[in-house]
Amino acid sequence: MIKNPSHPKKNQRKVKQCKFTRAGLEYIDYKDTETLQRFTNDQGKILPRRVTGTSAKHQRQLTTAVKRARFLALMPYVAENLR
Amino acid sequence: MSKNYYEFTYIINPVLEEDKFKETVDKVTKLVEDNGGEIDEVDEWGLRQFAYNIDKKGSGYYVNMYFTAPAEAIASVEKQLRIDDDILRYLTLKYDAKMLRHRELQKKNEVPDIFAIEDEDDDDSNEDDD
Repeated sequence: MIKNPSHPKKNQRKVKQCKFTRAGLEYIDYKDTETLQRFTNDQGKILPRRVTGTSAKHQRQLTTAVKRARFLALMPYVAENLR
Repeated sequence: MSKNYYEFTYIINPVLEEDKFKETVDKVTKLVEDNGGEIDEVDEWGLRQFAYNIDKKGSGYYVNMYFTAPAEAIASVEKQLRIDDDILRYLTLKYDAKMLRHRELQKKNEVPDIFAIEDEDDDDSNEDDD
């Protein structure tokens, strides 16, 4: 993307890759809350694709998985924030 | 009549006594069998803390089970459980081809680890510095 070879960020740029695609995962399990937690922020919100680099297909699966986990109280809808 | 593979998770009221948990699990298992279901696996997770309160309760007894059953069975099982006061919540999932393949991996303990390659994540954090 950066054509200038002397650009300071040239070597730092990294193409984001979907973690689920890389691992070859076909289905995201709602029971695996440890993994799901890494795709939510400390408020319990699902992180956007532009932050995590998840593919559209897996982001959709992730969303349903998180919502299922929330229904069963495995994950919070709203995490209490300490002020 | 087509048969499907289902995953079923439910939460039992934690206020009950120890032996009542077993009784309830047996009752639900029998209910599924009576409706023409074949149990594959029953996994009791035990008492767990909730992420938020359900009916003013902070924890519950989780049970996770897998079974094969005709589609009509689900409606009648769910109907029974909705009436039951001991069961706080339940979730039924019908398995499609992808989920079945995932389940096979799970049984063999071969589910790929998403965070296996950790060093790349460290590069990400460096990017944020500037």
